[in-house]
This record gives sequence, C-alpha cells and structure tokens, in this order.
Amino acid sequence: MVCEPTSSESQKQAKRRYFRDIAIASVLYVGFVFAGAAAVRYLDPPQWALILLALAPLAPALMMLRAYLVYLNAMDEFQRRLQTDALLVAAAVVTFGSFAYGFLEEWADLPHISLLWVFPAFCFIFGVAHVVIRWRYK
Amino acid sequence: MRNRLKVLRAERNWSQADLAERLDVSRQSVNAIETGKYDPSLPLAFKIARVFGRSIEEIFTDAQAQAAE
Repeated sequence: MVCEPTSSESQKQAKRRYFRDIAIASVLYVGFVFAGAAAVRYLDPPQWALILLALAPLAPALMMLRAYLVYLNAMDEFQRRLQTDALLVAAAVVTFGSFAYGFLEEWADLPHISLLWVFPAFCFIFGVAHVVIRWRYK
Repeated sequence: MRNRLKVLRAERNWSQADLAERLDVSRQSVNAIETGKYDPSLPLAFKIARVFGRSIEEIFTDAQAQAAE
C-alpha cells in the first residue's frame, strides 16, 4: 500500500500554490522581523513607528492564513475533516493551556512567557495533532 | 456504514489511486471510505455511485439497520 496520498491534478495545483504563497509570506516575515528588530535596536524610533514595526510581521502572518484557507477550500472533504479536527485539538490545547498558565503565572509565580509564543505553539500542536489524526485513519 | 467499494474497484481492476482520480479526491480519502473509517457526504456518495453506475444502496449499507433485522 502506498503511504502518500495521490491527489488529483487540481489538488496538486492547490498544494503548489499553497507552498509558493507560504514561501513568499515566510520570506516577508523574516524580513520584517529582522528589519524591525534592527530598527528598534539601532535607530531609536518614535512610539508610532514602534507600533508599526511591531505590527508589520502580522501582514505576512495574515498572508499565511489566507494561503491556508485557500488550500483548505481546495481539499476534499476527508482531508478537510483531518485539518479541522487538528485545528480543534490545537485550539483546545493552546487556549486551555495558556488559560491555565496565566493562573500559574499570577498565583504560583511561574516564569513569564511572552504572548509571542502562542502562534508558534498553535502551529506546532496543530502539526503534531494532524500527524496523529491522519495516522488513526490509516 | 459498510460498503462494497473494494469489490467494485477490483471488478474494474482499478487501484485506489485510479478511483481517487475519478472522484477528484485523495487516495487516502478512498482508503478511509473503503475501510469504513470515514463515511462520505451525500454528494460524494452520489459521485461514487455515478462512477460505478450503481445506486447508493447497492454500494453502501447501513450496518446498524442490518444488525437490527
């Protein structure tokens, strides 16, 4: 039995477009982060510029979200089911995990964790959940 | 829900990939339906029926109803 799913041509095209869009957004993201960090460190920008620099990486992150939603819509119903199940697991783990850790920070003096880690944590847990859920259907 | 996908596919000498191509879904989706791990939506069930030239009832059977009989 073949392990990798064989997709139709339209799905292959959707996958190619997804990876292209994600690659472009990733390059922009890295560029914004490095440029922003350098500007904050060496240029001492005013408050309004700091806000703009801080929000700039959100643009490529939203591009990634758009690419994912387009790809999700191009998937067949079973693949979409796997994705939404994994999204649900990631949403549950991250929201309840951050909720619980918030109380631990406040009441039990656990070390502070930046909110910056929420998105990477969500992506990581989504990835792991997707692999596990996919494996269960084999 | 039980189905005769594997038998119908074998009669035509189609691989899972062949059927997936005809249904415009992934091979993994065909495998999940065939093994009864995933029940297709009504539109996909109709599409499967069309591809095999059969009615939905000839391909899919309600396992619970069968057990109750």
